[in-house]
Amino acid sequence: MNDYARHEHHDFPGAVHQALADEPLQAALVRLTGTLMAGNRRGYAALADSDRLRDHAKQIKEHTLAHLDNYLEQLEASVVKLGGKVHWAASAEDARAIIVDIARQSSCKRAVKSKSMTSEEIHLNRALEKAGLEVTETDFGEFILQVAGERPSHLVAPAVHHTRESVARVLSKYVGDDLPDDPKTLALTGRRILRQEFHQADLGITGANFAVAETGTVVLVTNEGNGRLTTTCPRVHVALMGMEKVIPRLADLPVFLKLLARAATGQTLSVYTTLITGPRRPGELDGPEEFHLVILDNGRSRILAGPFRESLECIRCGACLNACPVYRRIGGHAYGGVYSGPIGSILTPLYDSVSNNPELPHASSLCGACQAACPVKINIPRMLIGLREVQHHHRTSTWEHLAYKLWSLVLRKPRLYRLALRFARMLLGPLADDGWLKRLPGPGAGWTHARDFPVPASRSFRDRWRELYAKKEK
Amino acid sequence: MTSREAFLDRVRKAVAAGNRAGIVHPLPDRNGVGYQGAGSDPLERFEIEWKAAGGQLHLLHDADAARAKVLDLIQTHQVRKILLGSDPLLTTLDLQQFLQQRGLEVIKVQDLEAATSPEPFFAADIGISGVDFLIAETGSLVMRSAPNQPRSISLLPPVHIAIAERRQLVPDLFDLFHKTSEFSQDFGSLASALPSCLTLITGPSKTGDIELRLVTGVHGPGTVHVLMLDS
Repeated sequence: MNDYARHEHHDFPGAVHQALADEPLQAALVRLTGTLMAGNRRGYAALADSDRLRDHAKQIKEHTLAHLDNYLEQLEASVVKLGGKVHWAASAEDARAIIVDIARQSSCKRAVKSKSMTSEEIHLNRALEKAGLEVTETDFGEFILQVAGERPSHLVAPAVHHTRESVARVLSKYVGDDLPDDPKTLALTGRRILRQEFHQADLGITGANFAVAETGTVVLVTNEGNGRLTTTCPRVHVALMGMEKVIPRLADLPVFLKLLARAATGQTLSVYTTLITGPRRPGELDGPEEFHLVILDNGRSRILAGPFRESLECIRCGACLNACPVYRRIGGHAYGGVYSGPIGSILTPLYDSVSNNPELPHASSLCGACQAACPVKINIPRMLIGLREVQHHHRTSTWEHLAYKLWSLVLRKPRLYRLALRFARMLLGPLADDGWLKRLPGPGAGWTHARDFPVPASRSFRDRWRELYAKKEK
Repeated sequence: MTSREAFLDRVRKAVAAGNRAGIVHPLPDRNGVGYQGAGSDPLERFEIEWKAAGGQLHLLHDADAARAKVLDLIQTHQVRKILLGSDPLLTTLDLQQFLQQRGLEVIKVQDLEAATSPEPFFAADIGISGVDFLIAETGSLVMRSAPNQPRSISLLPPVHIAIAERRQLVPDLFDLFHKTSEFSQDFGSLASALPSCLTLITGPSKTGDIELRLVTGVHGPGTVHVLMLDS
């Protein structure tokens, strides 16, 4: 059996089958509906004007992306003025090399990390470990996954696929003791272990929820406080950000803060919102002496130039995952990439390649629940259709081409359409079982593999209408 | 070309290519959208939000009552090592003498030096600090890092007591950033007006990483008390 929880992959159908048969996972996914998804709805409902505020947030993102070069330069100038250092990473490889180099230059040996999807994207931990550093994930969920050797399956609840029993097993093995499966005991065990790591660490690595161009401020939002510890205890702080995370002004920040936690969990604000503006100042007793900001491209400029720019507006709240009827059945690992759910179905094909991930643009019913839940109203269905169009242009099967040509011809000629319908009725009628086709022959077999096909009605709507109309006239 | 120039050049070209395809919006004015305010009684709103986030609130009328409450909380939590911050309000209360007279071990932040400071921070059972602002809308404490208010004081000890005055309440999150912007007139630039670390604290530390069940105190303090004094 493939271990989709450990490895990125391109076997979407295989992973889906495995996920659907995984009972603990299914139970975990059901819990999302009542907690995070319900929280999203409650959160928006409790915020007067939430609809207009989301429009406003989107406009800020659109504006920023349309002037991204200027804002990145402004951000750099602000950080430098504070005594921080800015590094430009064109690719994941560049970013890894830069961070390893910072660690070497500052003689760091032990790194603590607060949760960062961007660091997952560049596979940072492996590179740091190869360079001889000890790396510890400090978000409790991420720590469980690091110990278990697994990938996150949700943007904000990375270990959501675990149960209390499986967490107890993972941590018991780690501490060499038999831990009870009570969440409180397990979390406090995590606190004890990780507190030691914070005490000894000399390098703190974080992502960035936002970076304010005008002030050079990096904003971290966490519930546990590990983001704060990571930027308080070690003497060096490295913040890694995707270049789209910049926002223009400090005044724009509260717009996003009001939406982020509400969208993600329904909280008014997450427990800790931390604004880091440069390294520790003279006289201060804690905080890092060095501050480095690594700005990552890794395919983003390609996306920025094309029709999928809107995907760069994402603030990684996870709301679209919780709202998606597909994600809520298959979980995050099935999507194969670092990012999962509806937004992952766009990001993974764009960052990786459409041809490597042919199923992802179709892993959606296009119901629009993702867009309805999104704090910046990203039109995910539109982009999924856009990716399907990209696939269509790359399609090589001549049979499929021919079939669509024929389909389009028939649809454009009413007479031909009626004839085709009559023909289909004649042909398919005898195969029907109680008005449904349970099994289609030949190339149609795929359609009926998991669902029934309706038999064309014995009389068309047009025929019935004509008759009814004639009766009424009388 | 340096990696910086190549990076920015790529972004510049991508911006131009992508902008051609669509409309470029100016940076929008908010025009009051999203402002919630705190109604007629900001304290009431703060209380509702702060308690909903799991925080504890004690309303007190004078310095004596505040000191008594601090002692009461220390005894309830059965702790000994106290990390004490300093700000004008804390100075007025003169907690150090008050607590030391009662046999408690008080470490004053002012007496620490950067080189040795981590140990007392990690060892403390309880951190007592002031706050810079409170946000009624969201039920949050706002703390600026400073020599007399290190980041650790509200972070490392398992219990945090924040002593605040009613007049420090601002109604809405937007008001805080308005206030933060106001500093720019005094300090020249907005960036230098911000502290190296500004933290908004909304309740005790939480995790939902096991079965989405809430557990408090996973990294930061599991208990946070606000002692609110009438101004």
